[in-house]
Amino acid sequence: MRLIQKLLFIVVLFTAILSAQNVYERNCVPCHKDLSTSLQQMFKKYLLVYSGEQNVKAGIIHYLQYPNRSISVMSKLFIESFGIKKKTTLSPEELNRAVDIYWEKFKVFNKLK
Amino acid sequence: MALYTSLVILLITLLSIFYYQSQEKLMFSNQRAELSKYAYIQTKRLKVLHYFFPERTTYPRDPRFKSAIYDIEYKKIFSLLENENIHFNEEIYRAGNYIHFVKLLDTYYLGTKYLIIEVPEDMAWKKEAWKQIAIGSVLAFILFMVFGLILARLFLKPMRDSIVLLDRFIKDTTHELNTPLSAILTNIEMMDTDVMAEKNKKKLNRINIAAKTVSQLYKDLTYLTLKQEQKDHKEEIELQGLIRDRIEYFTALANTKQLYFELDTENVIIHADKQKITRVIDNLLSNAIKYNKRGGTISIKLRIGSLEVSDTGVGIDEEKIPFIFDRYMRFNQSEGGFGVGLSIVKKILDEYHIKIEVYSTINKGTKMVLTW
Repeated sequence: MRLIQKLLFIVVLFTAILSAQNVYERNCVPCHKDLSTSLQQMFKKYLLVYSGEQNVKAGIIHYLQYPNRSISVMSKLFIESFGIKKKTTLSPEELNRAVDIYWEKFKVFNKLK
Repeated sequence: MALYTSLVILLITLLSIFYYQSQEKLMFSNQRAELSKYAYIQTKRLKVLHYFFPERTTYPRDPRFKSAIYDIEYKKIFSLLENENIHFNEEIYRAGNYIHFVKLLDTYYLGTKYLIIEVPEDMAWKKEAWKQIAIGSVLAFILFMVFGLILARLFLKPMRDSIVLLDRFIKDTTHELNTPLSAILTNIEMMDTDVMAEKNKKKLNRINIAAKTVSQLYKDLTYLTLKQEQKDHKEEIELQGLIRDRIEYFTALANTKQLYFELDTENVIIHADKQKITRVIDNLLSNAIKYNKRGGTISIKLRIGSLEVSDTGVGIDEEKIPFIFDRYMRFNQSEGGFGVGLSIVKKILDEYHIKIEVYSTINKGTKMVLTW
């Protein structure tokens, strides 16, 4: 009986943790944490190429949907080391939400002083 | 002269505007070099900040200029500008008292597409430009006016010479006419008509009339060419007597048309130049005789403050009345004269503030009413 209670507790806790994570944290962070370049650094690379919010978001979404060596913002060395990612399995809505969270998290606005 | 002056002012204004604009362009061009240098420095600093972001978040500042960064969507990333009125499509422009230089970045450090460099506008060039414009305008104006005067004198000289020649000729001729005319009139008066044959008497009368007509023209001409230059000799004039004198003078002329004078006069005295008033009365009487019908009447009514001269002549069209005082205007070509008589009358009357009104009916007659 006690074992069942423990198992139930663990399941509930795991579900609670999972449901607390958003689409970005669930789908982006786990893979990127093992890479040599952080998501912050990648964001800056996107900024360097695309500048504005709409441009950056469109660039990221396009790359995630149609990953290609030639349009990657990452360096040649990085691509040679880690390759390019697989096409996203997220729905367009989830992708948009994830990218919005990514933008809000790393955007430069209101951070300079 | 006014037209020439206006054109000169317009030309100087246009030149001043061009000069001011060229000086402004020169200032912008000088500033552009300086601001490009600042933009280059700031870009390098942004590059550094980009690589160290978010560990470093202090925007690079420079005491020589202020700057701002905007992304490709014209959204402000960070700004230190005093004047936020930015023209993204221009490279360099004036914003209030500041100069803005817009630098487009090829690599968007921190997402920056537009880097705006701001410096206070140096007003020294403006003061210098205004000074140059003021001095230049005055000098150019003087030069143009002197040049214009010389040109005008050069072009008008032949015309002025002919006017002076004509004027002198008229004055000399008028002066020279006086002696023979006086001689003719005096000698006619001195002739003893009692011993003269009837045939010759008629001839003498015609000579008398012709000489008086010429004398009348001579007096008008004298008034126009010589008397105007002389001063007004005002005196007390007894109008009743003067009118009677002038009627007597014109009697011979009036008799040729068998005209009858109707006099209704009171004793009136006015203060004026006798020669001028004589010219007025002579012209009114002479017109009343000239344009009267054979056997007609000339009525003269003199009251204090008014004089009326009426004839029973051909009359004048109502629409032509307003123009009868214009010089060289003649309504009846059958009669002699130059059309200067009534213009002299109007001129003299205006001088003494005497009002003249004309009432006329075709084929019935004309009435001239003077009021003062």
